[in-house]
Amino acid sequence: MKSKKNQGLFPMLPLLLFIVVFLVGPLVYMVALSFATNNEGYGVTWKFTLENYTRITDPVYLQTFIQSFQLAITSTVIISLLGYPFGYFMAKLSAKWKKRVMLFIMLPFWVNSLIRLYGWIIILQTKGVLNGLLLKLGIISEPLKILYSYPAIVVGMVYALLPFMILSVYSSAEKLDWSLIEASRDLGATSFQAFRTVTLKLTLPGLLSGIILTFIPSMGLFFIADILGGNKIVLVGSLIQDQMNRGSNWPFAAALAVVLTILTTIMIWLYRKITNVKELEGLY
Amino acid sequence: MKRNSKIANIYLGIILFFMYFPIAMVVLYSFNDSRLTVSWKGFSLQWYEKLFSNQALMEALGNSLLLGVLSCFLSAVLGTLGAVGLAKLKWKSKGIIEYVSILPLMIPEIILGMVFLAFFSLLGMPFGMLTLLVAHTVFCVPYILMQVKARLVGMDKALEEAALDLGATPVRAFFDVTLPMITPAVLSGSLLAFAMSMDDVVISVFVSGPRTSTLPLKVYTQLKTGVTPEINALCTLMLAVTILVIILWKIAAGLSKKNKKGRQQI
Amino acid sequence: MKKVVAGLLTGVLAASVVLSGCGGSSDEKKGELVLYTWEAMFPQEVLDNFEEETGIEIIYSNFDTNETMLEKLAQAEGGDYDVIIADDYILESVIQEGLAEKLDKEKLSNFENINPLYQGQFYDENDEYTVPYGAGIPLIVYDPEQVDIEIKGYNDLWDPSLKDSIAITANYRVINGIVNLSEGRSLNDENLDDIKATGEKLLELAPNIRMIQDDNTQNALLNGEASVAFLYTSQVTMALQENPDLKVVYPEEGLGFGIMNMFIPSDAPSKDAAYQFVNYILEPEVAAECFNNIGYYSTNQAADEFVNEDLVVPDSVTKGEIVKNIGEEADMQYNKNWTEFKAACD
Repeated sequence: MKSKKNQGLFPMLPLLLFIVVFLVGPLVYMVALSFATNNEGYGVTWKFTLENYTRITDPVYLQTFIQSFQLAITSTVIISLLGYPFGYFMAKLSAKWKKRVMLFIMLPFWVNSLIRLYGWIIILQTKGVLNGLLLKLGIISEPLKILYSYPAIVVGMVYALLPFMILSVYSSAEKLDWSLIEASRDLGATSFQAFRTVTLKLTLPGLLSGIILTFIPSMGLFFIADILGGNKIVLVGSLIQDQMNRGSNWPFAAALAVVLTILTTIMIWLYRKITNVKELEGLY
Repeated sequence: MKRNSKIANIYLGIILFFMYFPIAMVVLYSFNDSRLTVSWKGFSLQWYEKLFSNQALMEALGNSLLLGVLSCFLSAVLGTLGAVGLAKLKWKSKGIIEYVSILPLMIPEIILGMVFLAFFSLLGMPFGMLTLLVAHTVFCVPYILMQVKARLVGMDKALEEAALDLGATPVRAFFDVTLPMITPAVLSGSLLAFAMSMDDVVISVFVSGPRTSTLPLKVYTQLKTGVTPEINALCTLMLAVTILVIILWKIAAGLSKKNKKGRQQI
Repeated sequence: MKKVVAGLLTGVLAASVVLSGCGGSSDEKKGELVLYTWEAMFPQEVLDNFEEETGIEIIYSNFDTNETMLEKLAQAEGGDYDVIIADDYILESVIQEGLAEKLDKEKLSNFENINPLYQGQFYDENDEYTVPYGAGIPLIVYDPEQVDIEIKGYNDLWDPSLKDSIAITANYRVINGIVNLSEGRSLNDENLDDIKATGEKLLELAPNIRMIQDDNTQNALLNGEASVAFLYTSQVTMALQENPDLKVVYPEEGLGFGIMNMFIPSDAPSKDAAYQFVNYILEPEVAAECFNNIGYYSTNQAADEFVNEDLVVPDSVTKGEIVKNIGEEADMQYNKNWTEFKAACD
């Protein structure tokens, strides 16, 4: 009989092979590419250089990193503020309503996310639903120019990513031992104290995993800035896409990607450090 | 005390309202008799008619469905076997394997997209269905892997061991014992993976070819160039089909529950 | 419940097989032609007629910018696509990289229909690779009802009254170029100090910018998102068709100018079909139909008599300056100007 240690290797082989070839391979290639020299015109020369990294420190490109982080942080904060109570309240619903609300949250996933954003265009545009309503109510006298502005992008981000936060918080609030809260109340804690010392602490893994699940994608969702922002804000995502598709500078794009990957990896590492949890919550 | 206050329930309602408001707008304007969405010009079904004669759009839908099914099937096979293997494997380094497998969830999509583009052109793979399939499978695997893994953790290992003791081959034990138990996890993971694949823009932008456009890519170009309400119509239909399926599913689930109860009584 | 899910998946699978079957049933036809260009560059009837006449199926594939096209074509090493239409300056790179087919004029009986005014250009001096498909001048268009000033040239775009109301196209060279023109410099200025000055002036334009977009920019004007727009010729034509009250400005400081061209990639999979298509488009009536539809100036002499009179070469057109390829350093600086400008827009 084979050693028990290696049991399970056989069924895992296809996945291992696939991941090594099509995930590890490309990522390693990305790192290699980031140290290569870009040819004038088209193509790459395999000559080691750090130029792609030093170029990132150019204020223009640093600015895009800062802007991306600002946008990601703004969106994530708003998402947390909106999503945390939702997930928490949802966990307190009766089993029947839990199922229903869950269904309501999952259903939009089956509508193309771009189309859902398009719904916001209909609402926010100058001659759109929102302006029409505000004008009719006499709240404003001139239509607001909301579309193609920073707030419009934030609305889009929050809208696209809120469900991930809700699901994460919900999955950890669901496991909450409510008797603990009751106990703390019985021991004389105010409801706020009970929330802070018991509830928040116990649902922290869900909140933090929600933050990661919204923060990371929001660094890369360049199309939201394109569509709702009128293409005016340059995010790292759009910069990478530009360099890949138009600027013809793959090594620079690779360097940007490496830096972005490192930054997100640090975030995840911090998450594990703080929560002591191995897995992100709410993915299932 | 485990009940929500009224305010909490109102809050849930408000957030859900804002989730559905844009969708309602899309649905509403699919019946608008005007190309522009700035005003309501009366009820019309013209966009539904145009939708079915729009070959490019229907082809993109076909591509997306095919891609979704194939990548979800492939990742289900890889992910399920992988999760089963991982559960049995006793290497110290298996954590790394697992971490790498779910890496696609941990790095921004845009990076996956660009590394695929660079890597596939290094390999000289022609861009098209094949590159899309590989890319989608990579980001679909984690959903299935994690679901199945979670299911395996809660599973009774004794059953499989018993089967092995009784002389079943490992393959037989897998199909007869393990698989039936993890099927719900595989299926729900697959559904999620399918939805993600059907919805992906960022990665597909990089790896699609001249002949294969997917539905999200078509929508993306249209959003930049001016949407025709055919897209509204298409999404309304897709939503309707989804809701219909869920209703049927509920009814079927209800029926099978009744059946089971009936049988138990006998 | 499992069975339902399984049934659902099977259903989707079946549906997708049926749908993709529809797409793939064209095998009986006489081949395919992959046409690669911007969206909406041909009237549907022209494409349909070609398919009917020849039995060749056209696959219309889009790119958003010239640079994307070059990137994709370079990746495909001149393959994958059969006919591409793109702008003048990018063609210089395409030809230099050896990605374009040297045209066999024997197969292009309609080649002589081309207006010589548009031939012998810097990117293809001996007319060996390219066939002009429309020319244009980017212009300013505005809605006089919503704009208080009279716009005469580029410099008026900096007027404070236009705050957050201008839509512009997204070609960084063109936008940098018109800033150059507004300062009386060449569109293709390569002096780094000049370009930096251009960048600074461009930054001051940022507060007035409502949106930046290359495709269908005129829609912003038509649906009221912007009151002023800097548009490509075709977009000008479309804007005027929808709203004849809009005012068109030929900027007094000087004009930009561009020629779009068809070419066949060096490794095109169906070259014969490509030649047939290019020749077909060069037929006077067909060309006229195209120009009338897309709203670019006619580059086909024989088509002039069928073309909407607005689209027959005005004298001013050829006085405009064409965007040319410039040195790497200057180009990088223009690129940087553009990134800074976009970042400043919001």
